[in-house]
Amino acid sequence: MPSQTPVLELRVFLRRLPLALVGAVIVWALATPVYSRMMCTSAQFLARIFEVPPASAVVAQGRDALLGRTDMRVDSGWLKFPLTQIHFNLVPFLALVLALPHPLAGGGWRRLLLSLAILAASHALSLLWQLKCLEAFSMGPWSRANYSDVARNVYGTLRYFFDIPVTFALPLLLWVGTYPQQVFALVGLGAPVRR
Amino acid sequence: MHAIRAFLATPAGRFVGIYSLVLSVSFLVLASKPVNDRIVNPYTTMVAHEARVVLNLFGEGATVSKQVLSSPRFSVAIFNGCNGLEAILVFVCGVVAFPAPWRRKLTGILLGFLAIQVFNVVRVVSLFYVGALRPQWFSVSHVFVWQSLVILFGVVLWLVWVRRYALADTRP
Repeated sequence: MPSQTPVLELRVFLRRLPLALVGAVIVWALATPVYSRMMCTSAQFLARIFEVPPASAVVAQGRDALLGRTDMRVDSGWLKFPLTQIHFNLVPFLALVLALPHPLAGGGWRRLLLSLAILAASHALSLLWQLKCLEAFSMGPWSRANYSDVARNVYGTLRYFFDIPVTFALPLLLWVGTYPQQVFALVGLGAPVRR
Repeated sequence: MHAIRAFLATPAGRFVGIYSLVLSVSFLVLASKPVNDRIVNPYTTMVAHEARVVLNLFGEGATVSKQVLSSPRFSVAIFNGCNGLEAILVFVCGVVAFPAPWRRKLTGILLGFLAIQVFNVVRVVSLFYVGALRPQWFSVSHVFVWQSLVILFGVVLWLVWVRRYALADTRP
């Protein structure tokens, strides 16, 4: 049932958004060094779960990750991949959250933690698909010997999905899913929330 | 499982469910080779030409070859993911998934498409100048600044569409 609430909530939200964006960038910049290492560790763990012997490697190096295998020749090249490409969507998500009125009230912080966990899982998986695509496509005869055409198609599709649709759409989906009442109040559906 | 079913029964849950489904199907279609060859690549070339027109207003002498925008000062290749289609789909799927009359959805899709086109040309032109004048800032501007802004722009556009058009006659 559409509410008769004026557009005030939306105006306040839009006024808050630039400041929320600055706050999100600060949080992201502070968290990035630790977060990048956690992402690399998680992706390497996932890659090695079903691997015998476990040799896939994801090493954090500043803002980048080095992707490769430890059972290749010492002089084999490793792929340098910018991690910002994967986890930058934390910034718009946090900005959208911080621009809402009282995002942590009423159990909001629990739902926020769950959303951040989902976002973090998507980042680790995204990095994993980058690694698997490197192994499946770019290691010459080794790739052809260890990955079938079906595997290459599956990993290519997963990388594409996590590169573009998931990266761009997940912040909006998590925002709506985490704060349905506040978001729907913003657009005029449901009860308005306290400012 | 019960919690997910209960969530999907709410208006927000239905929105998230329909949005995810429409978005997944749209991006699958977009990724197919025929669509990529016949729609995505020509569209990306069109974006490059739009940026060329703007750059030439500033006397850059820019040219376009396929998806590469070049001038004597700098060149950028516009790939899938940088052509604005992802922002358009994120917005359009939000419009399609929201419970509103179809005529208003079509208005939203048309106006949103045009707004994102303009926004994306500004992005390409600004990245061109960042690359030409401060190449060390290009990567951070491209990946971090503009991609974050693209997501926020899509969300804000969707909020404004819902408030101004989808629910226009429900306002006091």
